[in-house]
Amino acid sequence: MNAYLVLETGEIYAGAWMGGQDRAGEVVFNTSHSGYEEIATDPSYMGQIVVMTSPMMGNYGVDNQVWESRQFWIEGFIALQIQQSGRDQSWIKRLADFGIPVVSEIDTRNLVLRLRGGGTPWGALVQAGSEAEAKQKAQSLIDAKKGGDKDWVWAASRRAVEVRPGQDAKGPRIAVLDFGAKENIYRELTARARELHIFPSRTSVSEILASKPDALMLTNGPGDPADVQVATGTVRELIGQLPVFGICMGHQILGLALGAKTYKLKFGHRGSNHPIRDELLGQIYMTSQNHGYAVDAKTLPADVKVTQTNLNDQTCAGIYSESRNCLGIQYHPESHPGPHEATGLFDFFVKKMIGAPKK
Amino acid sequence: MPKRQDVKKVLIIGAGPIVIGQACEFDYSGTQACKALMKEGLEVILVNSNPATIMTDPEIATRVYVEPLRAPFLEKIIEKEKPDSIIPTLGGQTALNLALELHELGILKKHNVRLLGADPAVIRAAEDREKFRDILDEVGAKYPKSEMVRTFEQGLKVADQLGFPLILRPNYTLGGGGGGVAYTLDEYKRMIVAGLGESPTSEVLVEESILGWKEFELEVMRDGSGTFVVVCSIENFDPCGVHTGDSITVAPQQTLSDAEYQAMRDEACKILNKVGVQTGGANIQFATHPVTGERVVIEMNPRVSRSSALASKATGFPIAKLAALLAIGYRLDEIQNDITKVTPSCYEPALDYVVTKIPRFAFEKFAGSKDFLTTQMKSVGEVMGIGRTLQESFMKALNSLEGSSEGIPDINFQVDRISYPNSQRIYHLFQAFRHGLPLKQIQDWTQITPYFLEQVEDLVRFEGEIAKAKELSRELLLKAKRKGFSDARLAKLRKTTADAILKLRETHQILPHFLQVDTCAGEFASSTPYFYSSYWPQAGTPIDFRAPAVVIGSGPNRIGQGIEFDYSCVRGVKALQKMGRQVVMVNSNPETVSTDYDTSDILFFEPLTFEHLNEIMRLAKPSGFIAQLGGQTPINLAPSLVKAGWNLLGSSLEAIDLAEDRGRFSQICRELEFHIPQSAMAGDLETALGVVQSIGYPVICRPSYVIGGRRMEVIESEPELRSYFDRHGEAISPDKPCLIDQFLEGALEVDVDLVRGEDWALVGGIVEHIEAAGVHSGDSMGVLPPQRLKDETCSRIEEMSLKLAHRMKVIGHLNLQLAVKNDEVFMLEANPRSSRSVPFVVKAAGIPLIDLGIKAMLGVRAKDLNLAACNWRDTKQVSVKGVVFPFKKFSEADSILGPEMKSTGESMGRGDDYAEALMKALLSSHVQFPQKGEVFFSLRDKDKDSMLPLVKELKAMGYQISATTGTAQYLNDKGVEVLSLRKVHEGRPHCVDRIRSGEVAFVINTTRGKQSVEASFDIRRACIDLSLPCLTESDAAEAFLIALRRSRTGRFEVANLPQMKPH
Repeated sequence: MNAYLVLETGEIYAGAWMGGQDRAGEVVFNTSHSGYEEIATDPSYMGQIVVMTSPMMGNYGVDNQVWESRQFWIEGFIALQIQQSGRDQSWIKRLADFGIPVVSEIDTRNLVLRLRGGGTPWGALVQAGSEAEAKQKAQSLIDAKKGGDKDWVWAASRRAVEVRPGQDAKGPRIAVLDFGAKENIYRELTARARELHIFPSRTSVSEILASKPDALMLTNGPGDPADVQVATGTVRELIGQLPVFGICMGHQILGLALGAKTYKLKFGHRGSNHPIRDELLGQIYMTSQNHGYAVDAKTLPADVKVTQTNLNDQTCAGIYSESRNCLGIQYHPESHPGPHEATGLFDFFVKKMIGAPKK
Repeated sequence: MPKRQDVKKVLIIGAGPIVIGQACEFDYSGTQACKALMKEGLEVILVNSNPATIMTDPEIATRVYVEPLRAPFLEKIIEKEKPDSIIPTLGGQTALNLALELHELGILKKHNVRLLGADPAVIRAAEDREKFRDILDEVGAKYPKSEMVRTFEQGLKVADQLGFPLILRPNYTLGGGGGGVAYTLDEYKRMIVAGLGESPTSEVLVEESILGWKEFELEVMRDGSGTFVVVCSIENFDPCGVHTGDSITVAPQQTLSDAEYQAMRDEACKILNKVGVQTGGANIQFATHPVTGERVVIEMNPRVSRSSALASKATGFPIAKLAALLAIGYRLDEIQNDITKVTPSCYEPALDYVVTKIPRFAFEKFAGSKDFLTTQMKSVGEVMGIGRTLQESFMKALNSLEGSSEGIPDINFQVDRISYPNSQRIYHLFQAFRHGLPLKQIQDWTQITPYFLEQVEDLVRFEGEIAKAKELSRELLLKAKRKGFSDARLAKLRKTTADAILKLRETHQILPHFLQVDTCAGEFASSTPYFYSSYWPQAGTPIDFRAPAVVIGSGPNRIGQGIEFDYSCVRGVKALQKMGRQVVMVNSNPETVSTDYDTSDILFFEPLTFEHLNEIMRLAKPSGFIAQLGGQTPINLAPSLVKAGWNLLGSSLEAIDLAEDRGRFSQICRELEFHIPQSAMAGDLETALGVVQSIGYPVICRPSYVIGGRRMEVIESEPELRSYFDRHGEAISPDKPCLIDQFLEGALEVDVDLVRGEDWALVGGIVEHIEAAGVHSGDSMGVLPPQRLKDETCSRIEEMSLKLAHRMKVIGHLNLQLAVKNDEVFMLEANPRSSRSVPFVVKAAGIPLIDLGIKAMLGVRAKDLNLAACNWRDTKQVSVKGVVFPFKKFSEADSILGPEMKSTGESMGRGDDYAEALMKALLSSHVQFPQKGEVFFSLRDKDKDSMLPLVKELKAMGYQISATTGTAQYLNDKGVEVLSLRKVHEGRPHCVDRIRSGEVAFVINTTRGKQSVEASFDIRRACIDLSLPCLTESDAAEAFLIALRRSRTGRFEVANLPQMKPH
């Protein structure tokens, strides 16, 4: 049996099967040198087969402390070489234990050039005796996967409300709409807040307001923002009533709620080295990114400004409206993995946008 | 922030002669910066005392000054040029220290010049270890416990508090000069004395040991608006305790988790900001505990450094160019990424490959020096290997070292060669695994991260698989190539030939792919033609080859083959381009300008071996390759490449062989009726004893095919000849005989560099050696035009040189060494290539020899050249080449000069007369001119009469004279009042005690013969330790006196290099 990555567009890449089961997903690449475990546990990667451009993965083992959620979300992990020595093969083992296919020795650079050129297609990682068999297996896996509910945010979101105490008794009480949040958003918020009320993505306006929040946080999450149900309407109603801060999917939902459009980027931004011009913090810095969609700046209402720009391709990376007191950030100020320079945006949210909390 | 409008004329300070710890990487950075600033329309004034550099080519800057890097000279240049700014961050520690001095002397203020990139406060904050520790405290960074020691007594107390082992780091030195690890009190006492002497401020930081911790380095940049990027993270294979310049290093870092890495990155940013670096590149070194992960800061350099060159080559991020542009006001986001052309320069490169750097050492050059690695850097060069995986890059780097074509040859294993860091450790690590030593044991001895050891273990395990396999299947062969095994190593394992492995690869279509270094892991399309080979799959990026010329570089710097050859290569590339040729450059040395991605049309960063070059040629289908620019490395490769069907440009193999084969060379010299030293060959001692009978002592012995005079010695007697064969027997055999030449005692030697075309030839210049025959030409000072040769002798030399070139049918370069004794000219040696002396000759005579060489190789005829304009005799200025030695770093080595080359670098002094040029060359070679005090003499009998006038003159100049018993007796007899001192074996207090006590200003010590050389070793060693001038040669002593006399007048001028002559 050989290992294959089959793309729905017909290309096929042979590699070495390291563990896990056959699975399908959207094939995306990430240019980070490190942080594989954070990536695999980030709910935004739900439904995706991740190709790491960095050739050597698994080198420093595994660590429960860095999990960004309670489970793995990726549908497959590809790198040229993955640590597998007598002393340590923990990364392969961990992925395989969760049934996630792990494949090495695929021509990742060639694959990346393909993804860069033709967009991020669906694909499947399968074990098969021949290419023909692989294609057949892949097709049924892809079909099954594509047929599911398109509201991936709902799939990744929690079902029960959770209240978490914060670490700053003088800080605000923040309502969080969980779209598939990374744990570090919560960590950044609890460090600055009195209390977090974390809600499922389809929570109603009244339920949110009943928690008497000082502000609303919209988290990251997977999938196409246009397919997300309920949340866009909820946010539209809450804009103006509460300071709103959205990250990644949260930013896109905020954009939609403000009346803007979102669109799919050709191959997305995934990595730890994306330069951003941030006009709110007055700085240019490196950021951690992971998104396949973006807000179309041309469709924003006049009182919402693009305040963060991706300098690689000039796409909209952040929006801010002083009058409506809302902020959307396309990249990941919570990092994990990636550089920490954008952390100041959480301070901006808490200090500037929320200001002094209500009694 | 766009370009500053108040910066119009910038002075860039170079790094001076190549020394250990500060090598040609600063030529790379300076050249890149000059080019960038010239392009911005600035006037760029460059000063550097090193003629071997590309940056001192008159075309690189608006005006180039080859002058000593000393404050008075800089002031004169500043007066003359009136620059508004100085960029001091591109010329290593030399430039930073000099800038600081200019500031402290008030020269900057007086002339209204500002420092760009780093101001005095920043330089002090990073370099002054106490200030730096205060900064670390402020940002909450940890560092090893340490104490600044200023006196010996205080040092003892500190040692008591911190406990052994201790690390010593003298303040304000480069390459960890004077530093090291002390395990015992005795060792410590000795080192603290040396360290206090070495530090310009007499301060040594004594630090608790973090031996065995993992070591990392971040190469970072910052612009004026505070944007911060990490260009490259580097992880050391060797744990703490080995200087990072001597460590094998890997990029990007492999064993830190993202959380650990980001914490390190944050700390680097905080430190950079706190130190106050406004703009530019910097590097910060960290160590982490292998178990607890605790992190400490080791040091930071607020400037472009050795590792910035590596980081630039490893990532494609042009650190020096950006440092220069940021210094004049640009922001990172305003500068385009050269490689992608679509994204800005504010980014952190993403690598989809791994890079390994391995240093190259020269312990074998310094008899007596112990091959141990410590915190004081000792390597003289480095190679970089790029591969898709760590193993591939590691093995490519090992192949690049040019030690063995096998890369990882079998050796005799010694346990102590892995437990104590040394230059051969990596080979012993492989051997240890071959002998089945458990990883745990090896880890325990070496403290190398298991992750790295596993890579080595796996390679060795795989060697076993290869050796044992019934046949070398396609699958196995492919796997082997992906692990980086060379054909030669596979051949050894399979007991066959490399050629057979090549055939097998061709049969199975196992050929390398060529992948692009694109800074972004394929995220964006990029067109920059910078490639490396890999056997990992990849549809090769199509490369637009137009029958290019392939220039083979010179590989890792070593003593005898260094930056001079990179000069030839780069200048050659540019000349080829001017002739309309597409040029492919191949080299493995990350410190060089030739491996800058915009030097050639297409760059291959590859090992310089037949295997790798053959694959490149297979792909590039070149019109020809050039082997005469990169020194001996490409010359040695030429025969096999020609045999494989590739077209050699310039001199044919036949011409090369005529020069390289001693027998054939002597034959044609006789045919041309040249005087040559009598010579013979001997495959063993018996034969040698026989042939010496007819030649007569002294003779000079050397094995065949050597560069830099390796194992070359003057032999004065039969016992010495026996000893020579004892010591070098393994390099001599009947098919590799020892060459025995008559030694022309006291002869004057010259170097001639010439170029010959189909119907023309031109001598570029004659360099007269200042030391007499017996000192290797690379170690001898030289002067152009000659000062002691008669005109008719010069003409005779030229005539003989041209005759020989015609007879050998040289096309392109020829370097010759001749000797003159009693007005007779002897032909000594020919090198069928550009030489070490070419850059000096080019700059001294202003003749573009390399360009002419290229024209010769491309068949340009005399009628299309303006050769009349290129007459070295028209040169008005006198130029002297000075030399720089690394003896300080090799504390057991003798500094006496001989036929084996030991210098690492050269300087150039230019003046209206010989005295001025000499003075400048010596100053640039870090020689001091003591204006008063005691001169100590110890002369061999032969020199006594001839040196008497010199002694008298020194006396007249007001110096006191002391001498060893015999010399003193002689001088007293001649009426010179002199203090008689005991020789070392005559009991104490002896002359060395007097030198070490600081009573002596400089020393003249001539000696020859193994015994007397050994007897006087301590004298020379004391001079090295105390940085006293020590002249070991009578001609050198006379030259020193001329310069000394001149220096006492205080008169000197500075002048920029004229443009090269049209041709």
